[in-house]
Amino acid sequence: METLSETPWDAIIAGTGLAQSLLALALSRSGKKVLHLDRNPYYGGSEAAFSLDEAQEWMNSVNQHPGQSPFEDVKIFTYQHPQDSPQSTPSQHGSESSARPEGTPDIRAKLAASRAYTLSLSPYFLYTRSQLISTLISSKVYRQLEFMAVGSWWIHSPGHPNAASSELGATRVFHRVPGNREDIFADTHISMKSKRTLMRFLRHISKPEEEDDVETDEDLTMPFGEYLSSKFSVPQDLHDPLLSLSLSQLSQQDTTANYAVPRIKRHLASIGAFGPGFGGVVSKYGGASEILQVACRASAVGGGVYALDTGIQSLVDGDAAAEAEYPVEAQLSNGESVRSKFLFGSTWDLSAKEQMSPPTKVARSITIVSSSLASLFPITVEGAPLSASTVLMFPGHSLSNPQSPPVYLQVHSSDTGDCPREQSIIYGSVSLSGPEGHTLLECAIDRLLRAEGPPAIVLWSMRYNQMGRLSNDGTPSTLHPHSPHVYSFPPSSLDLAFEDETVDTVKKAWTRIVGDEVDHDDFMIFDDRDGASDE
Amino acid sequence: MSESAGANAPKPSSSVKLVLLGEAAVGKSSLVLRFVNNDFQENKEPTIGAAFLTQKCTLPTRTIKFEIWDTAGQERFASLAPMYYRNAQAALVVYDVTKPSSLTKAKHWVAELQRQASPGIVIALVGNKLDLTNDGGDASAAPEPENESAGADGDEAAEEGEGHDASSGNARKVSTREANTYAEEESLLFFETSAKTGTNVVDVFTAIANAIPESSLKTGRGAAGSGQTALGARSGDDSRVNLGERNAATAKEGCAC
Repeated sequence: METLSETPWDAIIAGTGLAQSLLALALSRSGKKVLHLDRNPYYGGSEAAFSLDEAQEWMNSVNQHPGQSPFEDVKIFTYQHPQDSPQSTPSQHGSESSARPEGTPDIRAKLAASRAYTLSLSPYFLYTRSQLISTLISSKVYRQLEFMAVGSWWIHSPGHPNAASSELGATRVFHRVPGNREDIFADTHISMKSKRTLMRFLRHISKPEEEDDVETDEDLTMPFGEYLSSKFSVPQDLHDPLLSLSLSQLSQQDTTANYAVPRIKRHLASIGAFGPGFGGVVSKYGGASEILQVACRASAVGGGVYALDTGIQSLVDGDAAAEAEYPVEAQLSNGESVRSKFLFGSTWDLSAKEQMSPPTKVARSITIVSSSLASLFPITVEGAPLSASTVLMFPGHSLSNPQSPPVYLQVHSSDTGDCPREQSIIYGSVSLSGPEGHTLLECAIDRLLRAEGPPAIVLWSMRYNQMGRLSNDGTPSTLHPHSPHVYSFPPSSLDLAFEDETVDTVKKAWTRIVGDEVDHDDFMIFDDRDGASDE
Repeated sequence: MSESAGANAPKPSSSVKLVLLGEAAVGKSSLVLRFVNNDFQENKEPTIGAAFLTQKCTLPTRTIKFEIWDTAGQERFASLAPMYYRNAQAALVVYDVTKPSSLTKAKHWVAELQRQASPGIVIALVGNKLDLTNDGGDASAAPEPENESAGADGDEAAEEGEGHDASSGNARKVSTREANTYAEEESLLFFETSAKTGTNVVDVFTAIANAIPESSLKTGRGAAGSGQTALGARSGDDSRVNLGERNAATAKEGCAC
């Protein structure tokens, strides 16, 4: 094939985010001619993963073209060894995290080569009962992927009785959130009375749906904290741990019970599905970025054609000529003009004539630290795999005030393949953008590293604001039709765990294109290719 | 070596991800077809879409299963390769011994692999279409040089008039020495092959299989174990989650009640 314009396409998909890549795979395996474009020279869009050098290039590109991507204000900080810069260390870091006045570690912890890191812009994990996992299995895409367990959940509790012990590493100011009945019994910091209320609540929410009929009219619109107190008398100090299991990025007051309860159920029900002791998994080598590239590879094998660094410049939308077989005509940035029956893309990928501004903006950071933070990865159940990722939640009041949204840190160990040994990557997120949000993130990372003690220092960090959709900001996760042939995907998710709605959205898009030619129950169910199966 | 599974005693078996790179029409797909099916198609159409093939290679001590990713037909857009060589353990960079520009392109690919791919990747440089040269594997099989589509490996008639050395029947334009010197400088495996006659084709894959370090086989993917383990005894390998074993455990275990 010499040009993209020589054939008309059944579908043009703009952008290589996870949703678009799954759609490309589904369509190419349904026999459709798919042209999959990305205006960036890399895969993944806002779910891409980068080496250090690529992150630098990405920063330059985002900052030079404001308003052209869901990111803004990217900054990168690199730790300067005091020995390297005799004059006062540049206050680049500005935070206490970089300059450790006394006991500056003697070890010369260093950044490894650029390519030793895979830094993910969307480090979300998958619950084991997620529809995406079923889709990866039924499409056989999982054979190209390696998954690692997401282990414990931790709550920042500065007044923790262990805070004085220096032997525990970071865990001395974190309390492990009990994830099941055994955990609750074993927990020495919860009083018997609190344990009883907690058990009652957990028993209530894990009742099978049918038995719930009597209580379906229970009022779940109240704030989650109020729900816990009024209905189950769960004491205050257990509200944040329970909130963390829902991964709500809003404060207790702003999180409704009908958001939190189903997500806590999801958390509990996922534990054990693929082995004891964990309920979530992350894909090695860059999380979602790896999954979507595997989907694109499978799509290419199915006949999909790929062109990076090729965006859509303008669009002649076939509203007027709706009877034409290929009503969509797109002018590409490489000068070619292509025709298609359908066009799908994110609002950022379709030419910005109808830019919907995403509803939520969060502050995020990616931090490389010179410690494995090993105490955060305990084996808590016999036979559990060693986890490679863990979730830390800092309730608003522990860093600033109770009205503040919580800060979440997801720590990836080197077992994720994302960083060298004896280092870890901390992905931070708080639903408060700009300087306020970044101050909270910095403060959280500083608390973690101070608790861990030397030699844990920040070797490199990147901060940015990201726009998108939170599962509790009320934005529907639906396709937006610009015409009967052109659709945009909803803004990308800012959630910490993959939300299943994305799979539904992809299926709707696929259904729109394949029509009634194929059985809709066959969505993403493929046989293994010759020789691709296990023996 | 044997090309297909046939060892009676079970040997340790590991998968190796191999990516095929090179200019269009140098014979990438033909090399793989020769290796996998022991087959050759004269004047093969350019591959449309991308191909994925697997083939076992049995060594004295172990069996290697190659997962071969062919960017076939999409070279012009150069968009599949970066995704293909991500975490690949081996790369086959192919040029056409009758076309100097294809070696230049191959050098670009080698440079890109050294810059971007896994640090431990095994790279083999392969000069294909040896049958079109005097020292071709089977000289009698050398086709008429003036025939533009003589590119034995499905050359889509290279436009730039390749002044084939018609008098000698030798279309070689890239000397073995030049390519070999380059390969030595860059620590690449080096072979000249003919997908048409089969010369050296199996040897390339056997050499790659032998060159893959044991350590990178254990982990199945990525560079020689880098980033696979954290603290001494911690092993990333042991802690991988097997999605094929969903029914191993039930929801009940995790249930809080």
